[in-house]
Amino acid sequence: MAKTGFGNHSDKIKKTKITMIIGYALIIVVSTILISVLSLGKTSDIMEEKVKDMTSALNVQLKLNIDNYLSKLETTGTLIFATPEVYKYDAVNPTVDEYEALNTESLISDKLMELCVMENYVDFAIVYSNNHSVGKLSNGTASLFGNELYSSLEKIITRRRTSDGWATGCYDDYKRIYYVKRVNDNTVFVASFYTTELKNVFELPETMNDMAVRLVNKENNIIYSSVQDETGSLLPSDISDTILDHTSATVIDDNHLITVDRCADDWRVISSIPRAIILEEMNDIKSSTVAIAFAAAIIGILLGVFLSIKVTNPMDSLVSDLDSKARIDTLTGVNNKRYFEESVEKSLSEQNRNNIGILFILDIDDFKGVNDTLGHGYGDKVLSGIGDILKTTFRSSDLLGRIGGDEFAVFMTISEHEKENCLSIVKMRCEALCKAFRKNYTGKDNSYKISSSIGVAVAYKEQKDFSELYRCADEALYASKHKGKDTYTIYGGDLQEAGDKYEN
Amino acid sequence: MKIKKAAALSVAAALLFSSCQTESIITTNNEQIEISFSWWGNDARNEYTIKAIQEFERLNPDIKVHCIYSEWSGFQIRNNVQMASHTEADVMQINYAWIEQYSPDGMGYYDINELSSFVDLTNFSENEINFGMKNGRLNALPIALNTQTVYVNKTLYDEYGLSVPKSWDDIFKAAEAMNGEHYPLTMNNKATLFSLVAYAEQQSGHEFIKSDGTLGFTSEDFKTMLEFYSELINKKVMPQTEYFERIRLDNGEYAGTVAWLSDASSYMGGAVKAGNEVVIADYLKNDSAVELGWYTKPATMYAISANTDYPAESARLLDFLLNSEEMADFQGVEKGIPLSKSARAYLEQTGKLTGLQYDAFLKMNEFSDKMTIISPYMENTDILEHVQQSCNSVYYGKTTSDEEAKILMENISDVLKNAQS
Repeated sequence: MAKTGFGNHSDKIKKTKITMIIGYALIIVVSTILISVLSLGKTSDIMEEKVKDMTSALNVQLKLNIDNYLSKLETTGTLIFATPEVYKYDAVNPTVDEYEALNTESLISDKLMELCVMENYVDFAIVYSNNHSVGKLSNGTASLFGNELYSSLEKIITRRRTSDGWATGCYDDYKRIYYVKRVNDNTVFVASFYTTELKNVFELPETMNDMAVRLVNKENNIIYSSVQDETGSLLPSDISDTILDHTSATVIDDNHLITVDRCADDWRVISSIPRAIILEEMNDIKSSTVAIAFAAAIIGILLGVFLSIKVTNPMDSLVSDLDSKARIDTLTGVNNKRYFEESVEKSLSEQNRNNIGILFILDIDDFKGVNDTLGHGYGDKVLSGIGDILKTTFRSSDLLGRIGGDEFAVFMTISEHEKENCLSIVKMRCEALCKAFRKNYTGKDNSYKISSSIGVAVAYKEQKDFSELYRCADEALYASKHKGKDTYTIYGGDLQEAGDKYEN
Repeated sequence: MKIKKAAALSVAAALLFSSCQTESIITTNNEQIEISFSWWGNDARNEYTIKAIQEFERLNPDIKVHCIYSEWSGFQIRNNVQMASHTEADVMQINYAWIEQYSPDGMGYYDINELSSFVDLTNFSENEINFGMKNGRLNALPIALNTQTVYVNKTLYDEYGLSVPKSWDDIFKAAEAMNGEHYPLTMNNKATLFSLVAYAEQQSGHEFIKSDGTLGFTSEDFKTMLEFYSELINKKVMPQTEYFERIRLDNGEYAGTVAWLSDASSYMGGAVKAGNEVVIADYLKNDSAVELGWYTKPATMYAISANTDYPAESARLLDFLLNSEEMADFQGVEKGIPLSKSARAYLEQTGKLTGLQYDAFLKMNEFSDKMTIISPYMENTDILEHVQQSCNSVYYGKTTSDEEAKILMENISDVLKNAQS
């Protein structure tokens, strides 16, 4: 089947337009996905870095807080040495007068009270090697150590240079944190505070509630934890296995972001955030990014469609115009010979075998005489008018064409169920044509008269191509001419029948 | 042209978008009002109070409470410093005597009547409220009533075939029976002061400090006190107060003690835990006594700072401490049997009005008609120190009891004068 060149171009332009839109959409979507993935990856890295930096900075601050808190107690404790009686007095010496001893102890007690009066210290006392104490020694501490008070406290002293040390978890009791400093060979100073006091030291900003803060000793026993009921237990293995013996580090593994800093007495402050919490925030960012990318893709596609239409529409219009010019006979407004033939050929090839194709050929009788008599201008006018007559006489679905200088053709298709009426339809059209000619081209004074001869051929059941159908119609046309013109003839078969010559 | 317009619009939109990004972003944090709360007490009190405060903060997320605490020793100095420097806590556990000391005109503490929309005062009787009234202003509310109580380790007494003592003579007999193996009645310095005063009052019938704040004791009364102290030590009824160690009640070295009703658990809890039967003895007096000589007082009280910036929040904490079921649950009868009706009702419902503390409360009620309300000056630390020094001076023979009684009388007179000036 042959196609018209312009028809092909128009289709191609449509296809190109669709391809452009799809291509554009694909480029936009792929680019957006690519950019989103890359930016999300980058954002994820940056965010992890930022959280890492922030956690690390916060942990250092917490380390400074605890160092300051412990250092304050150490400094307060050191002030006992400002009173010589404190370190010179030997409570174990049997030669010391008992009354004098009581007065000295009273003085020491006053001094101790003076130093700790504004603090929430549980113990602030001097303990002698005979377990006698002066100052504030809580019942809890006395009960905890019992008769081993002095010897137990002595063991807390681990720092050689300053002869002091920190401890908690004595007899598995983590309620208090002890500081012990040697005063002289038979005397130690002890101070303690409740572990719960560290809540203020390790207070986190409201926005960091998901972070767990722990203070652990060298054995990884938890001295303080922001997680309830953890104090006294071992550091969870998933954290201890990650941070190992690091004393200042930040680690990110599959489960946690952990930062660790060493503080006084080789204890470590460990802050950790479950990675899932960070990822949760990342997921929020991802969702937002995907939503923005989706919106951007939609906007991009719409913009692409708009631009494609903007670019292809003028071309489409131009092609359509050219196509129309190539298809339509400009004088008569009906299809030209080539397009008509191609269209009929196509119609015949695609035609349902049960449909009936009918070709009318129409030839102006003695048209040369019209040109000669009335001039070419009038001849053109007549031809133009014939186009109008054909359009009026036939259906809009029928194919009209000018196939010669004064020769026209019409191809119509009727369905099988109209088969019975086929002859009457053909006759009705032919007679309407003849009548229209007579009406339009008979002068008032009968000074001229233009008529047409019509040949009709029918394609039914048996396959016919255009040339064969045309030949049949032409033969019928010849018969009309031969019969004296201004009449119609239907070619052959059961349907063939000669029309009568019209007479008014 | 259209495309140019569209491009211009796009640029404008982009600029608008970017300008939106640079706008200040303000995120408001939950602002908390921070108030402070001070108290004194032993480990057990500190622990449950800290937990109770955490519960209060949970129930009142708009309030953060800064805790200030220590054992009694030293707390009074701390309170002095804070009151004098106007840095006292917003809500304070105070001693009954401090109303007279810090608020002689009633202006030293906040008038809680003004905060009655936050504090349910209907939980207290008029008499109970009157403990805290000063010059028409409600300066403080009492937590419970308190008195020095005689606790006896009956298991140990039984071992020596001794019955629960009722008089000083019984105590000396017990010391004789125990023969230095155990002390039958030990005391810290404050319990010693109250016991010496009780003994002296029982002898003479004189009031230690009169209701107008002047001294009621004569030098003879002080002499009685000083000699009685030496007798208690010499006859091994008790160790010197400086050597008193509460822990020795746990292991049975001490067979008894005089301590506040509110201290029942912290003093005798260990002995009970060790399987000993501890009972509340009668308030000690010999048959010849002309007075009972023992005092009662509001155990401790809660007051609000006159200078607080947050009276409403402080009042909410005060109400929680006195009247809430949560605090009643944490506190139990540690400070004595609560005077607050709602707190007491909760303890009754939950079956917590039992144990040594409750027995001590019942004993106090039994003797309440013979007991005197304590003078606010009696707990002045300077009086305590002077008595202790004089006791030691006589005990170690540095001065005679006659000489020292005069010195002591002079010193205490000065303290009382200074306190009222």
